[in-house]
Amino acid sequence: MTRRLLLIVAACTFAAAAQQPMLAPLDEAGFEKVRKSHTGSVLLVNFWATWCQPCRAEMPLLLKLEARYRSRGLKLVNISCDEPEQEAGALEFLKKQGAPLPAYIKRPRNDDTFINSIDPKWSGALPALFLYDRQGRKVKSFIGETDMDSLHEALRKLL
Amino acid sequence: MKHMLLAAVVCAALLPAQEFQLGSPVSDFTLQDVQGNPVQFSKLKGDVTVITFIATQCPVSNAYNERMKALYNDYSPKGVKFVFINSNRSEPGSEVAAHARQNGFPFAVYKDENNRVADMFGATVTPEVFVLDSAGVIRYHGSIDDSQEVRRVQVQRARNALDAILAGRPVEVAQTKAFGCTIKRVRKES
Repeated sequence: MTRRLLLIVAACTFAAAAQQPMLAPLDEAGFEKVRKSHTGSVLLVNFWATWCQPCRAEMPLLLKLEARYRSRGLKLVNISCDEPEQEAGALEFLKKQGAPLPAYIKRPRNDDTFINSIDPKWSGALPALFLYDRQGRKVKSFIGETDMDSLHEALRKLL
Repeated sequence: MKHMLLAAVVCAALLPAQEFQLGSPVSDFTLQDVQGNPVQFSKLKGDVTVITFIATQCPVSNAYNERMKALYNDYSPKGVKFVFINSNRSEPGSEVAAHARQNGFPFAVYKDENNRVADMFGATVTPEVFVLDSAGVIRYHGSIDDSQEVRRVQVQRARNALDAILAGRPVEVAQTKAFGCTIKRVRKES
């Protein structure tokens, strides 16, 4: 009887885990919705991937920054650029880092169109950070390894 | 007005100088072999030339190792020349040579010290491809195909460009977004 109960509990746990929400998929329209929902805050959008070593290294620094400036209106949105096979790993990494959820994963119909819609000058290279002011206007892009001093400086001006 | 002009000149000086543009010819430049010896691009190029910026440590670039070998094996017999370039400051010639050996590359990989050549092309990621026609004009710039994951590839972008150039047709899609890891550049003093 106990064994059967244990089996049922294990099966339920497994089913619940399988249904656990993954990262929220984002296309151009989804991104716009997320961006607009943060109007009134300073928004830092972080495009990253589990395979991107500098992105992984920067994540704790960005989270510290978000914690430091949260009360002054900074929001950090993480958008993974991982492949479907890497999505579970991406979510696990974010959870371990204590990143704010929901977090997102890039899933447009056309990658080039999506990248252009964020910033026509962006090639899609990672890491890529985009900073928006309280009116939702993009004020700065950081492509490649982020110069944290410049990011601090840009944030100080906005907050 | 004078101040604005001066500011524009100063800003331009701070940016890496991209010399080569899509639809325009490239001039000669110097690379280094993995032993550090200078090699002129003019000695490496062919009637049609594929220039690919690659890396040793970038997982996206490495996901393309077999595809790059296949591209080389399929198009070399058609007279296409391939120039593979590593511009990352963090990946020295010895590492580039070892990586090529370990992956069984049938082609040489050249170093681009101080990412001068990457700056000339405006290359920002690995892998990133430029296809040149017989006049040395850049006819295609972008990614090798449309998915890092080989099973999801739908469009063979570099192959399509090569087929068009070899057949004397215009390249239908001349520019795409190259995706991958950023080229790790040296910090240059302005």
